[in-house]
Amino acid sequence: MSAANTAANTAADASAVDFRGQHLVVHQTGQGSPVGYLHGLLGNPGLHPFLTSLAASGEGHRVIAPGLPGFSGSPACEDLRSMHDWIVATSEAIDLAGLAGAPMVASSAGAMLALEVAAVRPEAFERLVLIAPLGLWEPTDPVADPFATTMKRQRSILTADPARTAAFFEDDMTQSPEVLIERNVDRYLARTAAASLVWPIPEFGLDTRIHRVTCPVTLVWGAQDELAPVSYLERFAGLLPNVVGTHIVDGAGHLAEWDRPDEVAALVEGALS
Amino acid sequence: MKTLWFHLMPYPELPEDFQQQHRSVWVDIDPKLFDPAVGHRAYNDYIDELEHAGAMGFDGVGVNEHHSNAYGLMPSPNLIASTLTRSCPDAAIMVMGDSVALYNPPIRVAEEMAMLDCMSGGRLISGFPVGSPMDTIFAYGQNPATLRERYHEGVDLILKAWESDEVFSFNGRYNKLRYVNCWPRPVQQPHPPIWIPGGGSVDTWAWCAENEFVYTYLSYFGYKAGMRTMQGYWDKVRELGKEPNPFMGGFAQFVGVADTEAEAWELYREPAEYFFNRCLHVYAGFADPPGYKSVNTVRAGVEGMVERAAREATERAARAGARSGSTKAGPAGGSEGMTFESMVEKGYVIIGDPGQVAEKLTEVATSLNVGHIMALCHFGNMAKDVVMRNTELMATKVLPEVRHLFENEWEDKWWPKPLPAPQRSVAGGLR
Repeated sequence: MSAANTAANTAADASAVDFRGQHLVVHQTGQGSPVGYLHGLLGNPGLHPFLTSLAASGEGHRVIAPGLPGFSGSPACEDLRSMHDWIVATSEAIDLAGLAGAPMVASSAGAMLALEVAAVRPEAFERLVLIAPLGLWEPTDPVADPFATTMKRQRSILTADPARTAAFFEDDMTQSPEVLIERNVDRYLARTAAASLVWPIPEFGLDTRIHRVTCPVTLVWGAQDELAPVSYLERFAGLLPNVVGTHIVDGAGHLAEWDRPDEVAALVEGALS
Repeated sequence: MKTLWFHLMPYPELPEDFQQQHRSVWVDIDPKLFDPAVGHRAYNDYIDELEHAGAMGFDGVGVNEHHSNAYGLMPSPNLIASTLTRSCPDAAIMVMGDSVALYNPPIRVAEEMAMLDCMSGGRLISGFPVGSPMDTIFAYGQNPATLRERYHEGVDLILKAWESDEVFSFNGRYNKLRYVNCWPRPVQQPHPPIWIPGGGSVDTWAWCAENEFVYTYLSYFGYKAGMRTMQGYWDKVRELGKEPNPFMGGFAQFVGVADTEAEAWELYREPAEYFFNRCLHVYAGFADPPGYKSVNTVRAGVEGMVERAAREATERAARAGARSGSTKAGPAGGSEGMTFESMVEKGYVIIGDPGQVAEKLTEVATSLNVGHIMALCHFGNMAKDVVMRNTELMATKVLPEVRHLFENEWEDKWWPKPLPAPQRSVAGGLR
């Protein structure tokens, strides 16, 4: 699949691409110029509002959102044991989704992976819009542990309004017990994949490579981010060689695009144009 | 039936308001609560107690591994076990065990256990736990997504190191060793018996059954609550066409014996309440990191043992908070203690005169079909003289009543096979 081909495909849909004998689920919606979205800690539990907002912004976009292994219905991949494994897999997923050379919006751990891929392949993205990327560590201002807490708190640490993540955390209790069990397993696999990416400290030497990320980068941060303090925006801005914009979004937490989908989509549209 | 005297080695002087003022006994317990002078006394008292158990005729003595934990003061069980090889010349030495995934490389476990087996003349029982989430994921920073794979690779490496009579290379996912050569070699050939402590993972049942490792359930919650877990294990054993030999199973049980039942109620109340209310005050956020459980366990809806402990601690705190009007559960939120009566009724703790305890232990062994009991004769902040008396009554009045169980019907193929006694050194020279 190429970016041109996917742009021609206008169905709002989830498709699958082959990946190492299994598959990756790729959510796609809208029509227009292609733009990728690399998810954060929750994956893409369906076409969440940010994807549809982004697809509708400006003159319209074809939004292509691959689910990394373990997330969003993509099977877990036991070959992903280290950050190196994840970087190679992400690079592969970007190619498989036809997103090489396209602009990319990436969030949280997905933004960390996008930066790592761009450090290896500076030509991988036409430009990047990064929402609260992980990957740096300041001991006096540490990134919070997203797992050493209750489930209720794990949810509330991700967004300013926990209700925004209902699609991931909540079930339709009218469904059969079998369906609910599998939903729980899917959620567990996504949380496991997220843990695999950020445990125990989400810093894997990115600061030694980040100078190779030469494409234009726009940084977006939720003002109420309880996971990665907003002070990290300046740290990334100081290390990236080609920052073209920084934005702090009021009323948004770590996954700012979940809290303020329209507002963040507008910021992305501004960065793309 | 074999009975092993098993020590958790709790810190004995947690403050009375520990649950109210602190979030967790494990992982982020306040370092300032540890008084090294208390530690000095505790370690020495606890080793005395294990030695007393060996001298009184328990079949084995046992230790285990925990980290950043006030109810388990043994980051290195091997250190304690090494002293016991010298001071307990006849008992089996159970290390239950070394958390394989935390050793880098795990060949260190093969080496140290081979040392212990040599020092003891072949009396070692080698336990390989995955380790609790608190120990492995939080205190030791292991990634929950890869912990179990790392653990299984480590066990494979250790077994090959013991079994191979040639130097070999090991090219694992996590361990790359050009030269594997375990010196010293264990006395027991090809290796000491393998016991696996479990906490409720359904995959561990199948793994133990397939490999004929002893599955031991180190439960905090007694034999009544342990029924489902042990039944799951034995079902898997039968499903795989293996014999349900009780000696392929083990179970940990808190026990308090006194001359009379009334005295037992008096003696064991405080240490039991100390253990269950202070030592099991575990913050729920540490109990279930994603990836620690296997997918099969998640799908089966099995709650792990430490997960249960943390949930119950949270529920007690919530009840106390509701009564006091506080909405906080945890530090300053209060907690409602579990009563000793409830612990006894639920079977968490077995107490009574020797006859009553023998009867209950028989029920434990036969209802769970386990041929190895890890008796926790010390718990909480139990005074040393009470521990010594409990140990003596168990050894002299209870064990003679239960030792016969299963012995005529089944062979214990998982018990250490030491050198003959005349060939074994003891402290100071040969016997």
